[in-house]
Amino acid sequence: MTIKRRTFLAGSAAAAIASQFPIRLASAQDNVIRFSMPQDFTRVYTFVTAEYSQGQRDYLTLINERGGINGHRFVADVSDHGNDLPRAIEAYERAKSEGAVLVDPLSTPVARALVPRALEDKINMITAFSGRSDAADGSVFPYVLPLSPNYWTQAGLLIDYFRQVDGDLSGKKICFVHIDTPFGKEPLPILEKLAESQGFELLAFPYTPPGNDQSAIWPQVRRARPDWIMFWGAGVGQTVALTEAIRNGLPMDRLSSSVWLSESDMEVVGAAQAAGVMKVEPCVSGREPRLIQDILAEVVGAGKGAGPEDKVGTSYYNYGVMLASLMVEGVRVAFEKAPDGPVTGEWLNAGLRAITGFDAEGLIPPTTITPEDHQGGGQARIGRWDGEKFVAETDWFSANQDVVWEEIRKYSAEFKETGQ
Amino acid sequence: MFYRRAGIRHTRYQDERQIWPLPFDRGLVIAVFLLALAAPFFLDRLYLVGYMLPWIIWSTAALGLNFLMGGAGQIHLGYGAVIAIGAYGSVHMVRSGIPFEIAMIGGGLLSASVGIVFGAAALRVKGLYLAMATLAMQYIVDFVIVHFPTISGGTQATIQVPRVSFLGLAVVGDAPTYYVALFVCIVVTLFMLNVKRTSLGRALAAVREKDYAAAIIGVNTFRYKLLAFWVSSFIGGVVGSVLAVCYYRAISPDQFHLELSIQLVAMVIVGGLGSVLGSFFGAALILFAPILLNQAIGFMAGGMGVAISTDLRSHVPLMLYGAMIIGFLLWEPLGLAKIYSNIRNYFLVWPFRHARQ
Repeated sequence: MTIKRRTFLAGSAAAAIASQFPIRLASAQDNVIRFSMPQDFTRVYTFVTAEYSQGQRDYLTLINERGGINGHRFVADVSDHGNDLPRAIEAYERAKSEGAVLVDPLSTPVARALVPRALEDKINMITAFSGRSDAADGSVFPYVLPLSPNYWTQAGLLIDYFRQVDGDLSGKKICFVHIDTPFGKEPLPILEKLAESQGFELLAFPYTPPGNDQSAIWPQVRRARPDWIMFWGAGVGQTVALTEAIRNGLPMDRLSSSVWLSESDMEVVGAAQAAGVMKVEPCVSGREPRLIQDILAEVVGAGKGAGPEDKVGTSYYNYGVMLASLMVEGVRVAFEKAPDGPVTGEWLNAGLRAITGFDAEGLIPPTTITPEDHQGGGQARIGRWDGEKFVAETDWFSANQDVVWEEIRKYSAEFKETGQ
Repeated sequence: MFYRRAGIRHTRYQDERQIWPLPFDRGLVIAVFLLALAAPFFLDRLYLVGYMLPWIIWSTAALGLNFLMGGAGQIHLGYGAVIAIGAYGSVHMVRSGIPFEIAMIGGGLLSASVGIVFGAAALRVKGLYLAMATLAMQYIVDFVIVHFPTISGGTQATIQVPRVSFLGLAVVGDAPTYYVALFVCIVVTLFMLNVKRTSLGRALAAVREKDYAAAIIGVNTFRYKLLAFWVSSFIGGVVGSVLAVCYYRAISPDQFHLELSIQLVAMVIVGGLGSVLGSFFGAALILFAPILLNQAIGFMAGGMGVAISTDLRSHVPLMLYGAMIIGFLLWEPLGLAKIYSNIRNYFLVWPFRHARQ
């Protein structure tokens, strides 16, 4: 066998050129709206993402099965970025080259890193319960859409709920147990301001990330004899916090988390022991809402569900449905505004920022997104774990938004000044 | 046959001491260099921004770490922190109005001055103990960045990188950022290729093999160990500024955690300790294997109708990735660079089987 150098070189050159033709699957069809969902299934968010993504995909399947919106169907590109930035940026760039109009990374580090790109490329980035809190200011972050109450609002809601129950918070003691990361420390400025104006004493207890050992912190919390306790973490830190709170005999009905608490956490902690603990609920949990019933009948019942049936209706599943329904509502409004498209990031942006009074058939509080307010009014309710499920303690409400928006504007102004 | 070694006789010392004595190797390097230079013109944007850019930046970082680990034999588990110091230092300098060229060097100097402090531990401890000391550096630097809002940028803990220019070229868009990163990568690569032939490289090699023995033959181990940390940290700092300006464009503390350090150590080890080429191979494998495996599994799940659950779909790539690294290290413990060199040795004398090296 003889290989001439010329043949060898020509062959390798041909191979090199051939590798340049990107394999594009049948994605270029008309009447498809592409959502890119690179999320973290394996590193930090794990089961949170699995349930969230299941909800999103089931809802999109429901809409597709009903014929889509205006004859357009949705394609959800789900991939794993493992909370790793080079992987996430690759996924984002891939989404951009495939013509995605929306990206939902569900990860704070990734969302923060993608902000400059999304603003520049005019691709809508959904940062529900993640990313920069000041992205609520739509005038500075036109293409970054939290579409959900940010952590400052959640802290403000909890303080207001405590006030509603006790009547007056002056002289009370509130403990804030948090993971010692930027995410965990985020609510502190809001809490400090509220402590000053409402006269309660704020005690902050940071624990070291990732929070799988908090045994040194919780006895101190007990010793402080707090009137209310908030614990602020994510993933494994939440179950450890709850276990430690139970072990230290703290009153469960005076203990609350942010939105990051779910049925799956309760299974780990022990559903009966944790009865009484509260959380912020951005949407209804459980299977009662109309949309969840529809999904059960038309998607899961038809064998098209994206995951295990017993996860349907869990908190994070419903968060997924909530966000997917807001995205689809954005598409519907965009079609109302410009029925002929073209389907681009800018086109969808106009729709998303004009969502008015949308309540997803009772799943979420009536939400209005405006070009200024990307948070959607900052409404949620307080849910209490009764040993089997989360039961609503309050109706949808919004509180302390003046303090929250002061903070939002402070940071967005700073971003505006130095970001370009 | 391919390399055409027959008849090459070096008659001058300069020829003998060339980095690439064979014309074929020189041609290959020139071809790769030209391809890298022309990449923005023929490569799809996705591959330029999503693959080439991170590859050259991470390779540069791996080279900096390889100088320390492969060149001087000192382990470093806190290289992510070194990069963080450079990134934060240079971004803060740029934000206060200092030109990027100077801020890049400034970031490098800042990293070098902090890195040398922790490197001083290497004067007293070795091996695993040094690993612990450098690991401490990682955690201390992380802690300092997170707990000083003036460094990390307030409750949002994200700092935007302003638009900068490099030697008159505005670093905006895909091609300019790529060229800046490529420029730094080439400078560091040339340094690494040449350093082995200098007295510094030989002194470090002596320290690496046995520091007592090096001291006995007159190498000042105190000086050279610190110098190794200084140079390596300087490169890390410069890479940090490139990473921040050209790739991330917004920096936050979680970009520089222990994961980055471990990733870089893995690149150096999988690529080949002390090998320049290995740093590039290692960076490519560690960065892209998870992405490509994920896409392959995703393609199988989506396009070919293999029904697997989302959980499995996202975890199978991780298992394959782990198996791959173990496989490479079992097959060739000296790293990917050694695999390349084996192939090259085979083709050096092809179609014959054996020849002197």
